[in-house]
Amino acid sequence: MMNSKKRKRTGFLLILPLLILFLGLTIYPLIYMIYMSFHQYSLASWEEPRFIGWENYREILRDRTASSSVSFTLFLLFTAVPLEILLGIGIAFLIRDVWGERALRSSLIIPMTIPPVVAGIAWKMLYNYEFGPINYFISLFGLPKVSWLGSQFFARLGVLLIDVWQWTPFIFLVIYAGLQSIPRDVVEASLVDGASGWSAMRYIELPLLRPLIWVTLIIRVIDVLKLFDIVYMVTFGGPGSATHSYSFYIYKVGISFGWDVGYASALSVILLLVVTILTNLLIRFLRLSETLGL
Amino acid sequence: MKWLTKTIKFILIGMVIFFFLFPVYWLVTTAFKRSEDWFTWPPSFFPQHWTLGNFLGLEGGFFGSVTTAISTITPYLINSIVIALSVALISTIIAALAAYAISRFKVGGMGFVSWIISIRMLPPIAAALPLYVIFSHLHLVDTWWALILSHLIFTTPFSTWILITFFNEIPQELDEAAFVDGANIGQTFWHITLPLSAPGLASVSTLAFIQSWGEFLMALVLTTSKNAQTLPIYLGRFITGWRIAWGPLAAAGLVTMLPVVVFSLLMQRYLLQGLTFGAVKG
Repeated sequence: MMNSKKRKRTGFLLILPLLILFLGLTIYPLIYMIYMSFHQYSLASWEEPRFIGWENYREILRDRTASSSVSFTLFLLFTAVPLEILLGIGIAFLIRDVWGERALRSSLIIPMTIPPVVAGIAWKMLYNYEFGPINYFISLFGLPKVSWLGSQFFARLGVLLIDVWQWTPFIFLVIYAGLQSIPRDVVEASLVDGASGWSAMRYIELPLLRPLIWVTLIIRVIDVLKLFDIVYMVTFGGPGSATHSYSFYIYKVGISFGWDVGYASALSVILLLVVTILTNLLIRFLRLSETLGL
Repeated sequence: MKWLTKTIKFILIGMVIFFFLFPVYWLVTTAFKRSEDWFTWPPSFFPQHWTLGNFLGLEGGFFGSVTTAISTITPYLINSIVIALSVALISTIIAALAAYAISRFKVGGMGFVSWIISIRMLPPIAAALPLYVIFSHLHLVDTWWALILSHLIFTTPFSTWILITFFNEIPQELDEAAFVDGANIGQTFWHITLPLSAPGLASVSTLAFIQSWGEFLMALVLTTSKNAQTLPIYLGRFITGWRIAWGPLAAAGLVTMLPVVVFSLLMQRYLLQGLTFGAVKG
């Protein structure tokens, strides 16, 4: 057997490539970003970065578009995410033990596998005002056509709907897999003892699924903070700034419209802080020491 | 009563399937519609005439804005293939080495693993701007390497994660037996662990491939021309304008999504493990 010193050295050598990659590609950018968030610096001008203290952060509080992007992000967090979790759990219970459940499961997870850019194309066709199928369905009920991407309310609703379409399958898949891992005899024993299928679900299966639900909830919250592709493709943040997701707003400030590195960095630092807190929460719920045997 | 709950159940399942699959159905059928059928009222749900023209660049020439003629899409397709293949290869190698060290030698422990997770959760937009600045100093903007390196940030933690669980499932006694017989670590890894984990390696490289293939934000920020732009950027460029040439765009979308969807469905189990950090075995 190897002695422990040699084991340590070999182990270190093996993780070295990963370490170098991440140090170069994440730690350095992180430091750069924090540094720039205290400076006025734009790639569009020739001026050197100028130290301005907390001014960029104060600017966030005054910035109307920033607060509108925060409000849109919060809107999604409080509508899309709960809806996805409820639907995902509901569908998992609905299709289990149905004939052909394997095929059903595979087809239901297609939306989450489609690259968001392509999903954006599909939905942009569906939302089309003049010729879109959704307006056609609406007209079948005798209702007037809806300008889906033209009004603030409907554009937000439109993004919400796409997010639900895309990510309910993820929750469904996780919960479904979780359900399969609950031992059958636990549930059957309760049924023999006279519990109804409904109360077995309510008092036995759902409590066992609770840690999984927390994990998916946190992952989804972080994903909403990262939301970008769909917004770029379907609404481009519009109309006005109604559907600026937080990530999209950073993109607009930092890249597409202004190259304002300083201000975009300050916005990114806030985002990173929130994501870091959530990730720590996630790590706690994952019970890593159990899954990995560390 | 029983038939009533059954009927309700089937109606609900029908609605669920309709909601989740109709957008896919619409994209796929539009890709095969003739240009007369793109803008009709009522919309054409079951096209009478099917055509391959959208794929070949024969339909909708009067739009002039978008075409999927093989010649225009080829540079983007090549970029996508080269970048995704390199990402798959490099991230699998780096991840396999690190995962082996974590699984067998417990290098870094919980702290290191947590760090890997936080990198995986990192919002791409936060990394994109600093990377743009760094890459422009290194003259890497608009090259394959800019995208390969930036995609590695997200694929490597994902792959490492899946491989740790994979290596953990291979009994450690096998390694020890090899050591006793006089093999060194390299030989043990190469002759024992690697062959046993071939399915795992195949899946993580496939998953890295599809993550890179569909990635949009980094490609949008870090590339500027068809020297390095990938298929998703090609798609993103042509979605503006008041009348979009739906047929060719849907056809290009179909080409972009097909490998991703097929491989994801085949790798469901590992996809799930990677997405939930092993919280679900799948």
